Amino acid sequence: MKRWLYNPVLASSLKTRMRGWRAAAAVTAYLGVMLFIAYIFFQINLQSYMSISSGRSVGLRVYLMLAILQFALILLVTPAQTAGVISSEREMQTLDLLLCTKMSPFSIIIGKLLSSLAFILLLIISSIPLFSLVFLFGGIAPEDIVMLFLFYIITAFAVGSIGIFYSALFKRTVVSTVVSYITIFFLGIVSVILGVYLMSIHYSQIPRPSDYYVPLIFYINPAIGLSDLLFRQAGVTAPNAYYGILAWLFGVGLGSGSPQGWFQSLPLWIANSVVMSGIAILLLCASTWIIRPYKRVGRKS
Amino acid sequence: MLVVRDLVKKYGNFIAVDHLNMEVERGQIFGFIGPNGAGKTTTMKIIATLLAPTSGRVTVDGIDVFKEPIKAREKIGYMPDFFGVYDNLKVMEYLDFYGSAYGVEYRERRRIAEELLELVDLSDKKDAYVDTLSRGMKQRLCLARCLIHNPELLILDEPASGMDPRARAEIKAILKELKRMGKTILISSHILPEMAEICDSVGIIDRGRLVVQGSVEQIMQRITGRIVVRIRVLRDMDRAISLLKEQPMVTGVVEEDQELEVACRGSEEDLWQLLRVLVSSDVPVVSFRMMEGNLEQIFMEVTSDEEMAL
Repeated sequence: MKRWLYNPVLASSLKTRMRGWRAAAAVTAYLGVMLFIAYIFFQINLQSYMSISSGRSVGLRVYLMLAILQFALILLVTPAQTAGVISSEREMQTLDLLLCTKMSPFSIIIGKLLSSLAFILLLIISSIPLFSLVFLFGGIAPEDIVMLFLFYIITAFAVGSIGIFYSALFKRTVVSTVVSYITIFFLGIVSVILGVYLMSIHYSQIPRPSDYYVPLIFYINPAIGLSDLLFRQAGVTAPNAYYGILAWLFGVGLGSGSPQGWFQSLPLWIANSVVMSGIAILLLCASTWIIRPYKRVGRKS
Repeated sequence: MLVVRDLVKKYGNFIAVDHLNMEVERGQIFGFIGPNGAGKTTTMKIIATLLAPTSGRVTVDGIDVFKEPIKAREKIGYMPDFFGVYDNLKVMEYLDFYGSAYGVEYRERRRIAEELLELVDLSDKKDAYVDTLSRGMKQRLCLARCLIHNPELLILDEPASGMDPRARAEIKAILKELKRMGKTILISSHILPEMAEICDSVGIIDRGRLVVQGSVEQIMQRITGRIVVRIRVLRDMDRAISLLKEQPMVTGVVEEDQELEVACRGSEEDLWQLLRVLVSSDVPVVSFRMMEGNLEQIFMEVTSDEEMAL
């Protein structure tokens, strides 16, 4: 392999991560949880839906359930995979040894991130057979699943970068893991509350709104991007589906008005992916800056 | 090989390294001695490109470590005062990983790793997991790790700390072998007699300042102004004592275990004169040897004033 493509941290992590029973157990547990919940879903809903709905409708519902479930699991698993990668190097006292090699701090960070993402990717790929259940019923095209998986990877990249950043910032893995989950909670829940609040302020000042207003904070919430993507795949044709529903709370009709700018006219899940990727890149640069040797303070004299 | 000029490292108002100057010749083992918190580790980290100094200059084989850290790292092998080993990695994989991190080609690093494992006597453990090794083995593996890219300068921060006498002896033997291979070694340790045994020269650092630098014998002379020689004579012990006391360079004579311990000022030339006086006076000298410098004594003398000031 060409030297500039070869990352020793990535190569070593891939080898050790897949060694032993833990990786196999993690994949089994992950798929087990998904299967279990899917089974419960089938048990509760399938017969009633089969009797009154078309196969397409059932397929769509199964797809939406699996998509949201997998998304939640990715949000749950990714911080655990990334929030300790640098802090554990500190705890094992191997970070200095790495930093005094010829590897740059950036390549160390990227190697750590990619090895974690590779594991998430393995989980996503291993769930493909489960998603193939959807094709039994129809209603969802293979390219929809490809787009969904692409969005998963972008989400894992963004959430993984948050974990890496805290891992570089805090010395202890426990602290970085807890703060990572708090941040994910903020992104998932608090950003929606704040966004709705901002919308209520916006529309209270404009009695007859003629534009779509999407609070910027929505762009950092991957759940909003996912819901937009799923709405589109489900056939809801509003330009920004999730926004449309929220706007409904404030009395703005789906068909009324136009987006405020070119960026807001993009499909929300794409804009969301762009913003999340941008933030992830910034966080990776910040992580590199934090661990670079000449900025760190010695622990002992 | 290693030149440190006016090195200063401050943490706020605290001065960890205070205008430190030192030089280590190629192929030398230089002992870096000092009490805890004296600035040894900070200095070593600065030389290893892991810490930026407040001011000063460090060159390794003519390369400025702050201007060209990547280039300097090719010349430097750094072993910190802790193990720093990954679990879930085998011994050979551990060396292979660091070899790749230093950019050594696959075949080359496998070959070097085999040789290094032989050097540190871990060949039979190459397929063992690192976390199953004993403390001494891990320390030897760390030593092998810092040699994987064939550096010219080794910076070893307390490599023998916390090890049993056998493991210390093994490390000492490896260091002697490395010196024979032409490596320059900067080593810090608290075990002073061992430093005296393996080091060509030593530097004593206290409160960030290099108080003394030179060979153990030179330091002994400079600090205490004396050289100690042990003389064994077959007979005429009293005549030997009186003859010795007449010599101007002799500052003290003590009879101990059928031998004379003579303290004197001056150089090795003066010692030769002393021996000549005894032999020309027909004193039957059967043994005349300069004592190894007692580093512990020097260390205590050099640092005692500062300690008292506390």
